[in-house]
Amino acid sequence: MTTNPASRVLLDVQGVSKAYKGVQALSDVSITIHRGEIHSLVGENGSGKSTLIKIIAGVTQPDRGEIVFDGKHRTEGITALGAIRAGIQVIYQDLSLLPNLTVAENIALSQVVEKGRRFINWASMRRVAESELRSIHAQLDLDAVVEDLPVSSRQLVAIARALTQGAKLIIMDEPTTALTKPEVEALVAVIEELRSRDISTLFVSHKLDEVLEISDRVTVIRDGKPVGVFPASDLTTSELEAHMTGKPVTRERFESSTDTTGVPLLELRNLSRKGHFSEVSLKLWKGEILGITGLLGAGRTEVALSIFGMNPADAGELLLNGERVTIRSTEDAVRNGIGYLPEDRVVQGLFESKSIGENIVVTILERLLGGLRLVSARKARQAITRWVSELKIKTASSALPVTSLSGGNQQKVVIGKWLAIQPQLFILDNPTVGIDVASKAYIHGIVRDLARADMGVILISDEIPEVLATCNRVLVMKEGRIICEVRPAETTEEELYGLVSGNAS
Amino acid sequence: MDWSAATPASADLFRRILRRNEFYLLLFFVCFCALVQGFASSFLTLENLFDVTKTSAGFAILAVGVLVVLLSGGIDVSFLAIAISAQYGAVKLLIALGVSSLPMAFAVSCGIGILLGAINGVLISAFRLPTLITTLGTQTVFHGLLLTLLGSRAINSSDLPRCFLDFSKAHVFTLAKPDGTPYGLSAFVPIAVGVYVLTWLFLKFTKIGRGTLAIGGNVESARRIGFHVPLIQISVYSYVGFLAGIMGIINVALIRYVTPTTLVGSELDVIAAVVLGGARITGGKGTIIGTVLGVAIFQVLQTSLVLLGLSSFWQRAFVGLIIIVGMSVTAYQTKLRNARSLIFRLE
Repeated sequence: MTTNPASRVLLDVQGVSKAYKGVQALSDVSITIHRGEIHSLVGENGSGKSTLIKIIAGVTQPDRGEIVFDGKHRTEGITALGAIRAGIQVIYQDLSLLPNLTVAENIALSQVVEKGRRFINWASMRRVAESELRSIHAQLDLDAVVEDLPVSSRQLVAIARALTQGAKLIIMDEPTTALTKPEVEALVAVIEELRSRDISTLFVSHKLDEVLEISDRVTVIRDGKPVGVFPASDLTTSELEAHMTGKPVTRERFESSTDTTGVPLLELRNLSRKGHFSEVSLKLWKGEILGITGLLGAGRTEVALSIFGMNPADAGELLLNGERVTIRSTEDAVRNGIGYLPEDRVVQGLFESKSIGENIVVTILERLLGGLRLVSARKARQAITRWVSELKIKTASSALPVTSLSGGNQQKVVIGKWLAIQPQLFILDNPTVGIDVASKAYIHGIVRDLARADMGVILISDEIPEVLATCNRVLVMKEGRIICEVRPAETTEEELYGLVSGNAS
Repeated sequence: MDWSAATPASADLFRRILRRNEFYLLLFFVCFCALVQGFASSFLTLENLFDVTKTSAGFAILAVGVLVVLLSGGIDVSFLAIAISAQYGAVKLLIALGVSSLPMAFAVSCGIGILLGAINGVLISAFRLPTLITTLGTQTVFHGLLLTLLGSRAINSSDLPRCFLDFSKAHVFTLAKPDGTPYGLSAFVPIAVGVYVLTWLFLKFTKIGRGTLAIGGNVESARRIGFHVPLIQISVYSYVGFLAGIMGIINVALIRYVTPTTLVGSELDVIAAVVLGGARITGGKGTIIGTVLGVAIFQVLQTSLVLLGLSSFWQRAFVGLIIIVGMSVTAYQTKLRNARSLIFRLE
């Protein structure tokens, strides 16, 4: 090692540009990562983050620009394998593990393949896996099959695997999306451990509070252009948002006077499902937005799915407009005017192979029937045109595949699909996960408008600022129970964080 | 003795065994054998054991080939068309050359098998075709080509080269019945055992073997780790072809008669036995021991239906039932696991 301060720089990307079929995905973007640094890359969807990662990982070649990694100028024509050999590892969101194989194999197999061995030495494979896991203080059963493990453990397996290949830089793409708060903390501990070994981490995340908590510095890009590099300690989440969107984001609180004297639209009385949630009681009036927050696994989604008939309760009562109803399937729920926007919009909310229009009208096909009980193209077109314009879905044509849309616009399609049934109760489960700031604000606007139009809305969210800005009342769930109810006007973000994580006084 | 004081290691081992699919298969197998023995006391005799293992050896060899394909996330329905082509080709060649050599018969048969299997593998990997459709197509092509190119004439026992008849009677060791007629463990059995050991070693200790399981688990992840997916697929289907070649020769020796119009059509029996043995039909999961048990249960059920006084036609219904029940169990387990983590979708 030299004492030259420049050698502290592990990765130096200078002025890279990349165009795809005439569209400039990146222009003149730079990023510098020091050895042992925890660096975050943020930007809205479509800002060019993925392209930049692909260029760093050797998957795509930049049109222009210079990359120096570990003191070596990168020559043109580098392959993904070349980047891995140089010490760059990308942990994608899906983790790219082999679900049916054991922990030991998942960690050590890539090394076997890399070294071109023809035969497997199980003892040495276990040794490698064991020592890598020990180095990050992770305790996992080497013989456990990966698909039986929780996501947080799988992530440790993916990190350990990256380390076996001599990673100097680990790029993590949205690693915390599926993690609970304690699991995120455990992950951060691992990353800190890597830092002490001079291994750098590049974090790509939409959770800005986490970005600021974890990283040393943050590189922001917008529309493929550099915005700047900031020390994380100098930023607040709203400043960071402003950098990402290019305009200051205003935080408003939702004000509306709802009549809470009459019969509630929805009432739950001691609703329970063994192992999922117990004795959940709540009331929701027309025109109200009720937030439910809590850690992942606190029972929020379980309750929502129960109201929607997918996860029926085994005790307690559910009343709609003062009348007891039994909802044991999604058909029952839709018949009772309940809409549900699932957390995983791609898998559960959309028909990926279908067009935007087909996705919008799928819930109301019954109402579009013409003379011969066939779907009337004219009625369908009217409904589609209406929702595409009302929700401002950005597309050249509603006949394009729904997958051609950005995350935010896809979410609008899912919302449109449910609004088409004109629900009286609409449940949104983490509607803005993985969505950029501008679309987020737009979706919050839609939710508020729905409440103003007298719909009852339940908004489930991890994001404290989101529930505070959008809801009339907020329920906090913990270990399957509602532990308290707060009014946004009477609390602060910090207080609510404390309640959620359970370490408030 | 105080059982609670059992060492943690042995308690852990016991728990692991209880969790294994194979344990319950074995339990079922033992109970079923006891039941059949109750009906027909001739069932559990050494002579019957030798007989059943001889007639099952070829089936068992095919089954382990099917296991390998299922593990890779594919399915092959062309292996019997390959077996019959390899068999008929080898026998015809030996007759044409006028030689009687068992090693040569095996070499020719396995050679044809590997070639046809490799064609499957190349088609599947080069064009990324669905394996069921591909092998359904090649099954018909292989069988059609066989009938057109080599003819459809049956070859009788009297026309077969001597080596097949000798092979048929070859025993590893011979015992004598009280009346003096000899019987013994057929030479087919060590071949089948050898194939199982070979496959176990291949799956457990070779890179391509682990790669087979890897692509059955998640093909994209396997590719990212650096496994050469086309090479693995070609190896898998060639291996199935190789095993079909071995089975082809054993089959000639077993029935001492060759006709290219038989065999094709009972692929489902073999697949059923492997699925019964706990292999996941959607890929990535399955064990050699499970396959042995699946084959054993399947063969005993098949031979004992008659002993139990049921029509052999029941067997057809039974094969379909195994596949449906096997798939239902897998699907149900997945559903339970998903419900626990609140995933509601069809896989």
